[in-house]
Amino acid sequence: MKDEKKTGAVESIVEFFNVNKPTSRRGFLKLSAATAVAIYGANILADGNDKVEAKSVFILEDAKGVLVSDPSRCVGCRRCELACTEYNDGKSCPTISRIKVARNLNYGPQGTQFGFKRGHGKYGDFLIIQDMCKQCPHPVPCATACPNDAIEVKGPVNARVVNTEKCVGCKICQRACPWDMMSFDEEIGKATKCTLCDGKPQCVEACPTGSLRYVPWRDLTKNYRPRQAGMMAVTDDCKTCH
Amino acid sequence: MVKAKGGFTGKTLRVNLTTGKITAEDTLAKYGDFLGGTGIGYKVLWDEVPIGTRAFDEANKIVFGVGPLAGTGAPCNSRTAITTIWPVCYPDTYVASGHMGGHFAAELKFAGWDSIIIEGKAPHPVWLCIEDDKVELKDARRLWGSGVYRTTAEINAEMGPEAQVAAIGPAGENMVPNAVVITGYSHSAGGVGGVMGSKNLKAIGVRGTGSVKIAADKKEWKKLIQYSLTLIGSNNQHVVPSTPQPWAEYHWPGSRWTASKGVFWGAANPPVETGTCDPHDMHSIGLRCHKGAKDFGNDFGEKHTVRMGGCHACPIRCHAQIEYAPVEEKYGYSKYAANTCMGWYSPRQVFHEFPGPDGDLKASEAMVLGSHIVNDLGVWDNYALMQKVFNYAATHGMLEKILPEDEYKSIPWELWENGDPEFLLDFYRRIAYKEGVLGKDLGDSTLKTMKKWGIPDDFYKKFKWKYWKMGHPYHHSVESSGQVGALINMQYNRDSQNHSFQNFIQNGLPIDVQKKLAAEVWGSPDAIDAPKNYTPMNKYKALAAKWASIKKELHDSLSLCNWMYPWVASPLKERGYRGDTSLEAKYFSLATGIEVTEEELDLYAERIFNLHRALTIMQMNTRDMRNEHDTAPDWLYEEGPEPFTPGSQRFPREDIEKAKDLFYEVCGWNKEGLPTRETLERLGLKDVADRLEKANLLG
Repeated sequence: MKDEKKTGAVESIVEFFNVNKPTSRRGFLKLSAATAVAIYGANILADGNDKVEAKSVFILEDAKGVLVSDPSRCVGCRRCELACTEYNDGKSCPTISRIKVARNLNYGPQGTQFGFKRGHGKYGDFLIIQDMCKQCPHPVPCATACPNDAIEVKGPVNARVVNTEKCVGCKICQRACPWDMMSFDEEIGKATKCTLCDGKPQCVEACPTGSLRYVPWRDLTKNYRPRQAGMMAVTDDCKTCH
Repeated sequence: MVKAKGGFTGKTLRVNLTTGKITAEDTLAKYGDFLGGTGIGYKVLWDEVPIGTRAFDEANKIVFGVGPLAGTGAPCNSRTAITTIWPVCYPDTYVASGHMGGHFAAELKFAGWDSIIIEGKAPHPVWLCIEDDKVELKDARRLWGSGVYRTTAEINAEMGPEAQVAAIGPAGENMVPNAVVITGYSHSAGGVGGVMGSKNLKAIGVRGTGSVKIAADKKEWKKLIQYSLTLIGSNNQHVVPSTPQPWAEYHWPGSRWTASKGVFWGAANPPVETGTCDPHDMHSIGLRCHKGAKDFGNDFGEKHTVRMGGCHACPIRCHAQIEYAPVEEKYGYSKYAANTCMGWYSPRQVFHEFPGPDGDLKASEAMVLGSHIVNDLGVWDNYALMQKVFNYAATHGMLEKILPEDEYKSIPWELWENGDPEFLLDFYRRIAYKEGVLGKDLGDSTLKTMKKWGIPDDFYKKFKWKYWKMGHPYHHSVESSGQVGALINMQYNRDSQNHSFQNFIQNGLPIDVQKKLAAEVWGSPDAIDAPKNYTPMNKYKALAAKWASIKKELHDSLSLCNWMYPWVASPLKERGYRGDTSLEAKYFSLATGIEVTEEELDLYAERIFNLHRALTIMQMNTRDMRNEHDTAPDWLYEEGPEPFTPGSQRFPREDIEKAKDLFYEVCGWNKEGLPTRETLERLGLKDVADRLEKANLLG
């Protein structure tokens, strides 16, 4: 909190939320109670408690890049899934692929629920939709849900990454992601997700039609339809600010 | 075989439909010497199915053979070789395989299984449900009678949308010999549908959530895959584009590398331009083959292609995905249809012409509609020989005499005369449901029908009717590959599904470049001739034919695509257009951890090829394979200009006999075409030699 003398609480908050200038690479900030209280507003300030006590506030910095796709170019070869798991995990395993095509390949994201030839995919209109991690901005559903704080921001591109040392395999994160992008590697008993391959995504490199691209991060969470009703987690930390 | 650290899952599934017993076997211990695919198929038939068993007997078995590379990132895998006693060939039913692509083989591996052996006959219709290690036979009585599309959708509704389904339609249920198994909407395995039907097995659904391990270090594996992708061409490993391109030294109009600036997947939204596809650009490999434009012509094909599809892990997409609204509006099928090559062509070939100014459009509509009908009913075309026989009989006024009067009158001949695609609805229904004489006969073993109908000698003497031997058509024979193609077409009990040599000879490179590469692989530039500019037989052609046969079995057993491999050539000028024929051994070594050279891995394939030969010999019970099995049609010897003159694909009989002599010699077979003990023991097949000797069939 060395900057606190130079900047006031409000300035700290502004800096804190500045997505282009993250204040901590580790992905969460130590804020003084005074700063935290200031986030709540003047009515809480009225309590008059401005004793300085360090507190963790779980706010992950924004990622620097994100994957986008052009489904009209996707040919459903799944070389992206293969590259993701063979080059990262040393095995071919579409279940843990962090880019997901197989599940949309036959019938599209809606599966068979609307019947045959009415959806996307090989049995529908031939459009094959690739699902990728949005590298969500705060609040990051998977990271917030993790009871062990095992999903962390990792440099150099600030991807949200599972720390396998901390992951205990409870699978809560799988229910938290509205886009169902968390995977679980049954063979090691750990959750896994897109790491953006430290800025050189294997899937993008492997795509034979240029359907996938790695681009500067932007917020995709608002305009991509969820796959599941994500189990929104609210932790005590959240209450610090909200 | 030593223990594998990857590639193989290690378990083979055995399902007895009679007893309902489901067991797991150790793949490597029992079948390791035969890799997988056709290898395990031949092995099971050799060991377990009594000689004399016919295709639809309960004692016949059907092996969904998948190999160690299925499910990996080795480009162009996920082929399933379905081996059984084959119902289509003549004079009796012998061993053969149908091969399907799609994603089925990969899914089976992810479920933890290398192959599936099906035996017996279920007491009522069932389907096999494989969800990882949970395997069950489920009641299929409510599915029986459904088309492939409905069956697939209902199984996916039960297993989840990711499951891969292989199903038969009514044709298979009704034990039509010319019936297919279909997976992934448009991938079919010919001739095996009726065998599934005879066993009351409607479908197999597979869902796998596991993995296929790669034994090697992941960086080493990636390096190999990336290297291989620098050498890949287009479909059939055509390495030059069909039109001039800025990067290309050569072009050839017959090439399946059909991408170009201004050539679009026109029904994509928005349309996708295929572009120049420089071979050094790894992000346009999947755009090289515009099969819609190739199969339908640029006008229709570009306008109606949504995208290109194909198999798991294959960057070369050979299945055109077509959107054509009239098929939905007029006939009720989806406006979205997918297929490739014969899947489109054979329905078109039911007609002998498409008269009128809209003839071309009617032909295209017949292709799209016909593709749906045959995929849903599960009818096979015997590589369009069925359609040729029908056409011959119809255009020569034979059917009026062959068919009962009321049946003849019930056929909508006016539609046929007008080239109206609607005719196909009637035509294929008769076949799938064995309706009347026409339906029953066309679905039956084709040569049996030809003999029954009295198709005259004239048919066998003309190249255009496609006939080769034993009830099957030629499939890349002398018309492109001279004596090598002739030898390859003699080897099997169905049309030769062998593209090892065809891929090379039709790759579009000039003959001098091809000859240089041929010399490196087969020992002499004389191993090849330019198509239809043939020279007399020599031993290098025999070596090339043996090489092609071995590589075909290698690919069918590893689950690599023989429509793509092997890669004698590449599109790279800087490599002198050299490919790399050792890629298969390199993939195998790194994936499984079992280090092999190309020569060592080829020995496995040669073993498999010889086991197929031994099975055929036992089934035919003849020592005279030379004259009873390895035969060629009359047109080869009689039609066209003088042999060995430019433009001729005619050969003297003595030259083809010399071809057999040289081929048998390099294969280690005797003059009758029987493998010798020495050859079989060299391949580790002593037990095969013993059994052949006991039957007095050893060379």
